[in-house]
Amino acid sequence: MTVARITWLLLKKDLRIAARSREMLGFTLLFAVLCVIVFAFGFLQEGAATAGYVPGVLWVTLLFSSSVSLLRLFAPEEEGGTLDLVSSTAAGTLPLFISKATMQLLFTGLVTVVVLPLVLLFFNTELKGFGQTAAALGLGLVGMATVGTLCSALLVHVRLREVLLPLVLYPTVAPLLISGVKVTSIALAEGEGTGDWLTLMLIFDLLFVVASPWLHGRALQR
Amino acid sequence: MTTPTISPTTSPESPELAAAPRAPVAMATRVPVRTPAALLVLLGVSLALIEVALWWIAARTPSDIVLGLSQKIFYFHVGSAFAMLLCLTSASFLSLADLLRPDDRADALAQSLLEVGVIFALCILTSGPLWARKAWGMYWTWEPRLTLTLLVTLLAVSVIALRAMSADSGTGRRVGAAMAVMGAPASYLIHVAVKWWGGTHPQVIQGGGIQNADMRIAFWLAVFGLLTFAAALTATRYRDLRLKQRGRAIRLNLSAHQLRQRRA
Repeated sequence: MTVARITWLLLKKDLRIAARSREMLGFTLLFAVLCVIVFAFGFLQEGAATAGYVPGVLWVTLLFSSSVSLLRLFAPEEEGGTLDLVSSTAAGTLPLFISKATMQLLFTGLVTVVVLPLVLLFFNTELKGFGQTAAALGLGLVGMATVGTLCSALLVHVRLREVLLPLVLYPTVAPLLISGVKVTSIALAEGEGTGDWLTLMLIFDLLFVVASPWLHGRALQR
Repeated sequence: MTTPTISPTTSPESPELAAAPRAPVAMATRVPVRTPAALLVLLGVSLALIEVALWWIAARTPSDIVLGLSQKIFYFHVGSAFAMLLCLTSASFLSLADLLRPDDRADALAQSLLEVGVIFALCILTSGPLWARKAWGMYWTWEPRLTLTLLVTLLAVSVIALRAMSADSGTGRRVGAAMAVMGAPASYLIHVAVKWWGGTHPQVIQGGGIQNADMRIAFWLAVFGLLTFAAALTATRYRDLRLKQRGRAIRLNLSAHQLRQRRA
Protein backbone atom coordinates (compact mmCIF):
# COMPACT_ATOMS: atom_id res chain seq x y z
CA MET A 1 0.00 0.00 0.00
CA THR A 2 1.28 3.41 -0.81
CA VAL A 3 1.68 6.31 1.62
CA ALA A 4 -1.33 8.05 0.09
CA ARG A 5 -3.55 5.01 0.48
CA ILE A 6 -2.64 4.35 4.12
CA THR A 7 -2.91 8.05 4.92
CA TRP A 8 -6.39 8.14 3.39
CA LEU A 9 -7.44 5.08 5.40
CA LEU A 10 -6.20 6.60 8.66
CA LEU A 11 -7.76 9.97 7.85
CA LYS A 12 -11.06 8.32 6.95
CA LYS A 13 -11.04 6.54 10.30
CA ASP A 14 -10.40 9.80 12.18
CA LEU A 15 -13.07 11.62 10.19
CA ARG A 16 -15.56 8.87 10.96
CA ILE A 17 -14.75 9.01 14.66
CA ALA A 18 -15.11 12.80 14.59
CA ALA A 19 -18.40 12.57 12.72
CA ARG A 20 -19.88 9.99 15.09
CA SER A 21 -18.83 11.72 18.29
CA ARG A 22 -19.34 15.37 17.57
CA GLU A 23 -18.43 16.49 21.11
CA MET A 24 -14.81 17.29 20.41
CA LEU A 25 -15.52 19.69 17.55
CA GLY A 26 -18.44 21.20 19.44
CA PHE A 27 -16.46 21.78 22.60
CA THR A 28 -13.51 23.24 20.70
CA LEU A 29 -15.82 25.67 18.91
CA LEU A 30 -17.47 26.57 22.19
CA PHE A 31 -14.07 27.15 23.75
CA ALA A 32 -13.08 29.44 20.87
CA VAL A 33 -16.27 31.46 21.18
CA LEU A 34 -15.77 31.81 24.94
CA CYS A 35 -12.19 32.87 24.33
CA VAL A 36 -13.34 35.72 22.09
CA ILE A 37 -15.95 36.80 24.64
CA VAL A 38 -13.42 36.79 27.47
CA PHE A 39 -11.02 38.85 25.36
CA ALA A 40 -13.82 41.29 24.58
CA PHE A 41 -14.41 41.71 28.34
CA GLY A 42 -10.71 42.16 28.90
CA PHE A 43 -10.33 44.86 26.27
CA LEU A 44 -13.56 46.79 26.89
CA GLN A 45 -12.93 50.52 26.84
CA GLU A 46 -15.73 53.02 27.44
CA GLY A 47 -18.38 50.45 26.75
CA ALA A 48 -17.00 49.34 23.41
CA ALA A 49 -14.37 46.82 22.46
CA THR A 50 -11.56 48.53 20.58
CA ALA A 51 -10.96 47.62 16.95
CA GLY A 52 -7.20 47.76 17.34
CA TYR A 53 -7.26 44.50 19.30
CA VAL A 54 -8.88 42.48 16.50
CA PRO A 55 -5.69 40.92 15.02
CA GLY A 56 -4.34 39.95 18.43
CA VAL A 57 -7.62 38.49 19.69
CA LEU A 58 -8.10 36.55 16.45
CA TRP A 59 -4.67 34.94 16.42
CA VAL A 60 -4.42 34.22 20.14
CA THR A 61 -7.89 32.64 20.09
CA LEU A 62 -6.82 30.42 17.18
CA LEU A 63 -3.63 29.44 19.01
CA PHE A 64 -5.50 28.62 22.23
CA SER A 65 -8.22 26.59 20.56
CA SER A 66 -5.69 24.74 18.43
CA SER A 67 -3.87 23.64 21.58
CA VAL A 68 -7.17 22.41 23.00
CA SER A 69 -7.77 20.15 20.03
CA LEU A 70 -4.10 19.12 19.88
CA LEU A 71 -4.36 17.63 23.35
CA ARG A 72 -7.02 15.25 22.06
CA LEU A 73 -5.48 14.61 18.63
CA PHE A 74 -4.02 11.22 19.50
CA ALA A 75 -6.76 10.30 21.97
CA PRO A 76 -8.47 7.62 19.77
CA GLU A 77 -5.17 5.74 19.41
CA GLU A 78 -4.26 6.08 23.07
CA GLU A 79 -7.64 4.93 24.34
CA GLY A 80 -7.72 2.05 21.90
CA GLY A 81 -4.06 1.21 22.56
CA THR A 82 -3.35 1.17 18.86
CA LEU A 83 -0.65 3.81 18.68
CA ASP A 84 2.11 1.30 18.00
CA LEU A 85 0.04 -0.35 15.30
CA VAL A 86 -0.75 2.78 13.35
CA SER A 87 2.85 3.97 13.69
CA SER A 88 4.27 0.77 12.22
CA THR A 89 2.56 0.69 8.86
CA ALA A 90 4.29 -0.46 5.70
CA ALA A 91 5.09 3.20 4.98
CA GLY A 92 6.41 3.93 8.48
CA THR A 93 5.10 6.77 10.62
CA LEU A 94 4.55 9.15 7.71
CA PRO A 95 0.88 8.29 7.03
CA LEU A 96 0.03 8.74 10.71
CA PHE A 97 1.67 12.15 10.77
CA ILE A 98 0.01 13.37 7.57
CA SER A 99 -3.44 12.14 8.59
CA LYS A 100 -3.21 13.70 12.05
CA ALA A 101 -1.88 17.00 10.72
CA THR A 102 -4.70 17.12 8.14
CA MET A 103 -7.21 16.36 10.88
CA GLN A 104 -5.83 19.19 12.99
CA LEU A 105 -5.88 21.54 9.99
CA LEU A 106 -9.54 20.71 9.32
CA PHE A 107 -10.40 21.29 12.96
CA THR A 108 -8.66 24.67 13.21
CA GLY A 109 -10.01 25.66 9.78
CA LEU A 110 -13.55 25.14 11.01
CA VAL A 111 -12.78 27.08 14.18
CA THR A 112 -11.41 29.95 12.07
CA VAL A 113 -14.53 30.09 9.93
CA VAL A 114 -16.58 30.58 13.10
CA VAL A 115 -14.16 32.82 15.00
CA LEU A 116 -13.28 35.36 12.30
CA PRO A 117 -16.81 36.76 11.79
CA LEU A 118 -17.40 36.64 15.52
CA VAL A 119 -14.32 38.71 16.36
CA LEU A 120 -15.25 41.27 13.68
CA LEU A 121 -18.78 41.41 15.04
CA PHE A 122 -17.85 41.77 18.71
CA PHE A 123 -15.17 44.36 18.04
CA ASN A 124 -17.26 46.36 15.55
CA THR A 125 -14.77 46.04 12.74
CA GLU A 126 -15.25 45.89 9.01
CA LEU A 127 -13.32 43.27 7.11
CA LYS A 128 -10.89 44.90 4.72
CA GLY A 129 -8.02 43.36 2.78
CA PHE A 130 -9.64 39.94 2.86
CA GLY A 131 -7.09 38.36 0.50
CA GLN A 132 -4.12 39.20 2.70
CA THR A 133 -5.87 38.08 5.88
CA ALA A 134 -6.97 34.84 4.25
CA ALA A 135 -3.44 34.15 3.00
CA ALA A 136 -2.00 34.80 6.47
CA LEU A 137 -4.65 32.61 8.11
CA GLY A 138 -4.01 29.80 5.63
CA LEU A 139 -0.25 29.86 6.09
CA GLY A 140 -0.60 30.29 9.84
CA LEU A 141 -2.99 27.37 10.24
CA VAL A 142 -0.81 25.03 8.15
CA GLY A 143 2.26 25.94 10.20
CA MET A 144 0.48 25.65 13.54
CA ALA A 145 -1.08 22.32 12.57
CA THR A 146 2.27 20.88 11.46
CA VAL A 147 4.30 21.99 14.46
CA GLY A 148 1.37 21.25 16.76
CA THR A 149 1.00 17.71 15.47
CA LEU A 150 4.72 17.14 15.97
CA CYS A 151 4.58 18.46 19.55
CA SER A 152 1.43 16.48 20.31
CA ALA A 153 2.94 13.27 18.90
CA LEU A 154 6.18 13.71 20.81
CA LEU A 155 4.33 14.38 24.04
CA VAL A 156 2.18 11.24 23.89
CA HIS A 157 4.48 9.35 26.28
CA VAL A 158 5.20 12.31 28.53
CA ARG A 159 3.67 13.07 31.91
CA LEU A 160 2.02 16.48 32.50
CA ARG A 161 1.79 17.00 28.76
CA GLU A 162 -1.25 19.27 29.10
CA VAL A 163 1.09 21.76 30.74
CA LEU A 164 4.08 21.02 28.56
CA LEU A 165 2.34 21.34 25.19
CA PRO A 166 1.90 25.13 25.33
CA LEU A 167 5.41 25.46 26.75
CA VAL A 168 6.86 23.85 23.65
CA LEU A 169 4.34 25.02 21.07
CA TYR A 170 3.97 28.72 21.81
CA PRO A 171 7.63 29.79 21.57
CA THR A 172 8.05 27.69 18.42
CA VAL A 173 5.10 29.20 16.56
CA ALA A 174 5.95 32.73 17.76
CA PRO A 175 7.14 33.74 14.24
CA LEU A 176 3.74 32.73 12.80
CA LEU A 177 1.88 34.59 15.52
CA ILE A 178 3.94 37.76 15.10
CA SER A 179 3.68 37.72 11.29
CA GLY A 180 0.00 36.78 11.35
CA VAL A 181 -0.92 39.63 13.70
CA LYS A 182 1.19 42.01 11.64
CA VAL A 183 -0.41 41.00 8.31
CA THR A 184 -3.92 41.13 9.72
CA SER A 185 -3.45 44.57 11.23
CA ILE A 186 -1.93 45.90 7.99
CA ALA A 187 -4.77 44.36 5.99
CA LEU A 188 -7.47 45.80 8.25
CA ALA A 189 -5.89 49.25 7.91
CA GLU A 190 -5.74 48.76 4.14
CA GLY A 191 -1.98 49.25 4.24
CA GLU A 192 0.88 47.98 2.12
CA GLY A 193 3.86 45.78 2.78
CA THR A 194 2.50 42.40 3.85
CA GLY A 195 4.67 40.57 1.30
CA ASP A 196 7.74 40.09 3.51
CA TRP A 197 5.69 38.82 6.41
CA LEU A 198 3.80 36.35 4.24
CA THR A 199 7.12 35.14 2.81
CA LEU A 200 8.40 34.57 6.34
CA MET A 201 5.30 32.50 7.13
CA LEU A 202 5.76 30.53 3.91
CA ILE A 203 9.39 29.76 4.77
CA PHE A 204 8.34 28.65 8.25
CA ASP A 205 5.70 26.35 6.74
CA LEU A 206 8.00 24.85 4.11
CA LEU A 207 10.70 24.23 6.70
CA PHE A 208 8.43 22.51 9.19
CA VAL A 209 6.33 20.62 6.65
CA VAL A 210 9.57 18.89 5.65
CA ALA A 211 11.24 18.68 9.07
CA SER A 212 8.30 17.67 11.28
CA PRO A 213 7.40 14.28 9.71
CA TRP A 214 11.09 13.41 9.64
CA LEU A 215 11.62 14.34 13.31
CA HIS A 216 8.41 12.49 14.21
CA GLY A 217 9.64 9.32 12.51
CA ARG A 218 13.11 9.61 14.06
CA ALA A 219 11.88 10.29 17.57
CA LEU A 220 9.24 7.57 17.70
CA GLN A 221 11.12 4.74 16.02
CA ARG A 222 11.28 1.55 18.01
CA MET B 1 11.34 -27.45 46.56
CA THR B 2 8.80 -24.89 45.50
CA THR B 3 11.13 -21.94 45.20
CA PRO B 4 10.00 -19.80 42.29
CA THR B 5 12.32 -20.27 39.39
CA ILE B 6 12.29 -18.61 36.07
CA SER B 7 11.75 -21.19 33.41
CA PRO B 8 13.42 -20.46 30.08
CA THR B 9 10.27 -21.12 28.11
CA THR B 10 7.89 -18.75 29.88
CA SER B 11 10.06 -15.77 30.75
CA PRO B 12 10.08 -13.31 27.89
CA GLU B 13 13.45 -11.68 27.83
CA SER B 14 13.15 -7.91 27.50
CA PRO B 15 14.91 -6.48 24.46
CA GLU B 16 17.17 -4.46 26.73
CA LEU B 17 18.26 -7.57 28.61
CA ALA B 18 18.84 -9.43 25.37
CA ALA B 19 21.01 -6.64 24.11
CA ALA B 20 23.14 -6.57 27.26
CA PRO B 21 26.64 -7.99 26.86
CA ARG B 22 27.44 -11.35 28.42
CA ALA B 23 30.10 -10.04 30.80
CA PRO B 24 28.85 -9.23 34.33
CA VAL B 25 30.51 -5.80 34.49
CA ALA B 26 29.81 -3.03 32.06
CA MET B 27 32.63 -2.60 29.63
CA ALA B 28 30.75 -0.49 27.14
CA THR B 29 30.93 2.78 29.01
CA ARG B 30 34.22 3.45 30.67
CA VAL B 31 34.11 6.67 32.61
CA PRO B 32 36.85 7.54 35.11
CA VAL B 33 35.33 7.73 38.58
CA ARG B 34 37.99 10.07 39.90
CA THR B 35 37.70 13.72 38.80
CA PRO B 36 40.19 14.24 35.95
CA ALA B 37 42.95 16.77 36.66
CA ALA B 38 42.23 18.52 33.35
CA LEU B 39 38.74 19.43 34.56
CA LEU B 40 40.10 20.97 37.76
CA VAL B 41 42.68 22.91 35.76
CA LEU B 42 39.96 24.19 33.41
CA LEU B 43 37.85 25.28 36.35
CA GLY B 44 40.84 27.00 37.97
CA VAL B 45 41.76 28.83 34.77
CA SER B 46 38.20 30.01 34.23
CA LEU B 47 37.84 31.28 37.79
CA ALA B 48 41.21 33.04 37.55
CA LEU B 49 40.21 34.69 34.26
CA ILE B 50 36.94 35.86 35.78
CA GLU B 51 38.79 37.23 38.82
CA VAL B 52 41.22 39.18 36.63
CA ALA B 53 38.35 40.40 34.45
CA LEU B 54 36.49 41.64 37.54
CA TRP B 55 39.58 43.46 38.77
CA TRP B 56 40.23 44.95 35.34
CA ILE B 57 36.63 46.13 35.04
CA ALA B 58 36.65 47.65 38.52
CA ALA B 59 40.12 49.20 38.53
CA ARG B 60 41.24 49.85 34.98
CA THR B 61 38.28 50.54 32.72
CA PRO B 62 37.00 54.12 32.56
CA SER B 63 33.37 54.96 33.28
CA ASP B 64 31.16 55.53 30.28
CA ILE B 65 30.46 59.22 29.62
CA VAL B 66 26.76 58.72 29.05
CA LEU B 67 25.87 55.59 31.00
CA GLY B 68 28.32 55.91 33.90
CA LEU B 69 28.88 52.85 36.08
CA SER B 70 25.97 50.88 34.65
CA GLN B 71 27.88 50.38 31.41
CA LYS B 72 30.21 47.99 33.25
CA ILE B 73 27.52 45.33 33.23
CA PHE B 74 28.21 45.04 29.49
CA TYR B 75 31.34 42.88 29.92
CA PHE B 76 29.65 39.99 31.67
CA HIS B 77 26.36 40.48 29.83
CA VAL B 78 27.91 40.00 26.38
CA GLY B 79 30.18 37.24 27.65
CA SER B 80 27.15 35.33 28.93
CA ALA B 81 25.39 35.89 25.60
CA PHE B 82 28.34 34.34 23.75
CA ALA B 83 28.34 31.39 26.13
CA MET B 84 24.57 30.88 25.81
CA LEU B 85 24.58 31.01 22.01
CA LEU B 86 27.49 28.61 21.80
CA CYS B 87 25.96 26.16 24.30
CA LEU B 88 22.46 26.09 22.82
CA THR B 89 23.62 25.91 19.19
CA SER B 90 25.97 23.04 19.87
CA ALA B 91 23.30 21.28 21.94
CA SER B 92 21.00 21.43 18.92
CA PHE B 93 23.62 20.05 16.53
CA LEU B 94 24.62 17.29 18.96
CA SER B 95 20.95 16.33 19.34
CA LEU B 96 20.71 16.06 15.57
CA ALA B 97 23.80 13.84 15.57
CA ASP B 98 22.26 11.68 18.29
CA LEU B 99 19.01 11.34 16.33
CA LEU B 100 20.86 10.36 13.15
CA ARG B 101 23.13 7.91 14.91
CA PRO B 102 22.43 7.18 18.59
CA ASP B 103 25.48 7.85 20.69
CA ASP B 104 25.47 8.04 24.49
CA ARG B 105 28.25 10.63 24.51
CA ALA B 106 26.49 12.98 22.09
CA ASP B 107 23.32 12.65 24.14
CA ALA B 108 25.02 13.39 27.47
CA LEU B 109 26.95 16.32 26.00
CA ALA B 110 23.83 17.79 24.36
CA GLN B 111 21.93 17.57 27.63
CA SER B 112 24.77 19.21 29.60
CA LEU B 113 25.13 22.01 27.06
CA LEU B 114 21.40 22.66 27.12
CA GLU B 115 21.38 23.02 30.91
CA VAL B 116 24.47 25.23 31.00
CA GLY B 117 22.98 27.33 28.19
CA VAL B 118 19.90 27.96 30.31
CA ILE B 119 22.07 29.09 33.25
CA PHE B 120 23.78 31.69 31.05
CA ALA B 121 20.44 32.71 29.53
CA LEU B 122 19.24 33.48 33.07
CA CYS B 123 22.38 35.58 33.59
CA ILE B 124 21.55 37.58 30.45
CA LEU B 125 17.92 37.97 31.40
CA THR B 126 18.98 39.32 34.81
CA SER B 127 21.82 41.63 33.80
CA GLY B 128 20.08 42.96 30.67
CA PRO B 129 17.01 44.49 32.36
CA LEU B 130 19.20 45.98 35.13
CA TRP B 131 21.22 47.79 32.49
CA ALA B 132 18.14 48.69 30.44
CA ARG B 133 16.54 50.41 33.45
CA LYS B 134 19.46 52.86 33.49
CA ALA B 135 19.97 53.21 29.76
CA TRP B 136 16.46 53.02 28.34
CA GLY B 137 14.50 53.97 31.45
CA MET B 138 12.64 50.66 31.64
CA TYR B 139 13.41 47.11 32.62
CA TRP B 140 11.87 45.41 29.63
CA THR B 141 10.99 46.27 26.05
CA TRP B 142 9.87 43.98 23.27
CA GLU B 143 13.09 44.58 21.50
CA PRO B 144 14.37 41.85 19.09
CA ARG B 145 17.23 40.39 21.08
CA LEU B 146 15.32 40.48 24.36
CA THR B 147 12.34 38.74 22.83
CA LEU B 148 14.55 36.17 21.14
CA THR B 149 16.50 35.42 24.32
CA LEU B 150 13.31 35.04 26.31
CA LEU B 151 11.66 32.70 23.79
CA VAL B 152 14.79 30.62 23.27
CA THR B 153 15.22 30.27 27.03
CA LEU B 154 11.62 29.11 27.37
CA LEU B 155 12.14 26.58 24.58
CA ALA B 156 15.32 25.24 26.18
CA VAL B 157 13.64 24.99 29.59
CA SER B 158 10.69 23.12 28.09
CA VAL B 159 13.00 20.65 26.34
CA ILE B 160 14.67 19.94 29.69
CA ALA B 161 11.26 19.61 31.36
CA LEU B 162 10.00 17.35 28.59
CA ARG B 163 12.87 15.02 29.13
CA ALA B 164 12.43 14.93 32.87
CA MET B 165 8.72 14.13 32.47
CA SER B 166 9.14 11.27 29.99
CA ALA B 167 7.89 7.84 30.95
CA ASP B 168 11.09 5.98 30.03
CA SER B 169 14.55 7.32 29.37
CA GLY B 170 14.77 5.99 25.81
CA THR B 171 11.67 7.82 24.61
CA GLY B 172 12.59 10.92 26.60
CA ARG B 173 15.98 11.00 25.01
CA ARG B 174 14.66 10.83 21.43
CA VAL B 175 11.74 13.17 22.08
CA GLY B 176 14.02 15.71 23.78
CA ALA B 177 16.53 15.46 20.94
CA ALA B 178 13.81 16.01 18.32
CA MET B 179 12.61 19.07 20.21
CA ALA B 180 16.15 20.43 20.53
CA VAL B 181 16.64 19.97 16.79
CA MET B 182 13.36 21.74 16.06
CA GLY B 183 14.42 24.59 18.32
CA ALA B 184 17.29 25.67 16.06
CA PRO B 185 15.34 26.68 12.90
CA ALA B 186 12.51 27.97 15.08
CA SER B 187 14.95 30.23 16.93
CA TYR B 188 16.34 31.52 13.67
CA LEU B 189 12.86 32.41 12.39
CA ILE B 190 11.99 34.02 15.73
CA HIS B 191 15.15 36.06 15.27
CA VAL B 192 14.06 37.23 11.81
CA ALA B 193 10.49 37.96 12.91
CA VAL B 194 11.40 40.00 15.95
CA LYS B 195 14.10 41.85 14.02
CA TRP B 196 11.56 43.07 11.46
CA TRP B 197 9.45 44.14 14.38
CA GLY B 198 12.05 46.83 14.95
CA GLY B 199 14.16 47.60 17.99
CA THR B 200 16.90 49.56 19.67
CA HIS B 201 19.46 47.12 21.02
CA PRO B 202 22.97 48.61 21.09
CA GLN B 203 25.20 47.07 18.42
CA VAL B 204 28.65 47.37 19.94
CA ILE B 205 30.37 44.41 18.37
CA GLN B 206 28.87 44.65 14.88
CA GLY B 207 29.08 48.46 15.05
CA GLY B 208 32.22 50.47 15.64
CA GLY B 209 33.71 48.08 18.19
CA ILE B 210 35.29 49.06 21.49
CA GLN B 211 37.60 52.05 21.16
CA ASN B 212 39.23 52.12 24.60
CA ALA B 213 42.11 49.64 25.01
CA ASP B 214 41.37 48.89 28.70
CA MET B 215 37.74 48.28 27.87
CA ARG B 216 38.77 45.91 25.10
CA ILE B 217 41.05 43.94 27.41
CA ALA B 218 38.35 43.74 30.08
CA PHE B 219 35.84 42.62 27.48
CA TRP B 220 37.96 39.76 26.14
CA LEU B 221 39.00 38.70 29.65
CA ALA B 222 35.34 38.46 30.61
CA VAL B 223 34.42 36.62 27.41
CA PHE B 224 37.17 34.04 27.75
CA GLY B 225 36.57 33.71 31.47
CA LEU B 226 32.88 32.99 30.97
CA LEU B 227 33.45 30.69 28.00
CA THR B 228 35.97 28.58 29.92
CA PHE B 229 33.64 28.62 32.91
CA ALA B 230 30.83 27.38 30.65
CA ALA B 231 33.14 24.66 29.38
CA ALA B 232 34.03 23.63 32.95
CA LEU B 233 30.36 23.51 33.98
CA THR B 234 29.48 21.50 30.89
CA ALA B 235 32.32 19.08 31.48
CA THR B 236 31.25 18.59 35.10
CA ARG B 237 27.65 17.88 34.16
CA TYR B 238 28.78 15.70 31.27
CA ARG B 239 30.86 13.57 33.61
CA ASP B 240 27.93 13.31 35.98
CA LEU B 241 25.62 12.13 33.20
CA ARG B 242 28.21 9.69 31.84
CA LEU B 243 28.67 8.20 35.32
CA LYS B 244 24.89 7.80 35.55
CA GLN B 245 24.88 6.05 32.16
CA ARG B 246 27.63 3.77 33.38
CA GLY B 247 25.74 3.02 36.55
CA ARG B 248 22.66 2.10 34.53
CA ALA B 249 24.68 -0.15 32.24
CA ILE B 250 26.27 -1.94 35.20
CA ARG B 251 22.89 -2.50 36.85
CA LEU B 252 21.43 -3.81 33.61
CA ASN B 253 24.33 -6.15 32.93
CA LEU B 254 24.27 -7.41 36.49
CA SER B 255 20.59 -8.30 36.37
CA ALA B 256 21.07 -9.94 32.97
CA HIS B 257 23.94 -11.95 34.40
CA GLN B 258 21.91 -13.03 37.45
CA LEU B 259 19.03 -14.07 35.22
CA ARG B 260 21.31 -16.21 33.08
CA GLN B 261 22.93 -17.81 36.15
CA ARG B 262 19.56 -18.72 37.60
CA ARG B 263 18.59 -20.33 34.33
CA ALA B 264 21.80 -22.29 33.96
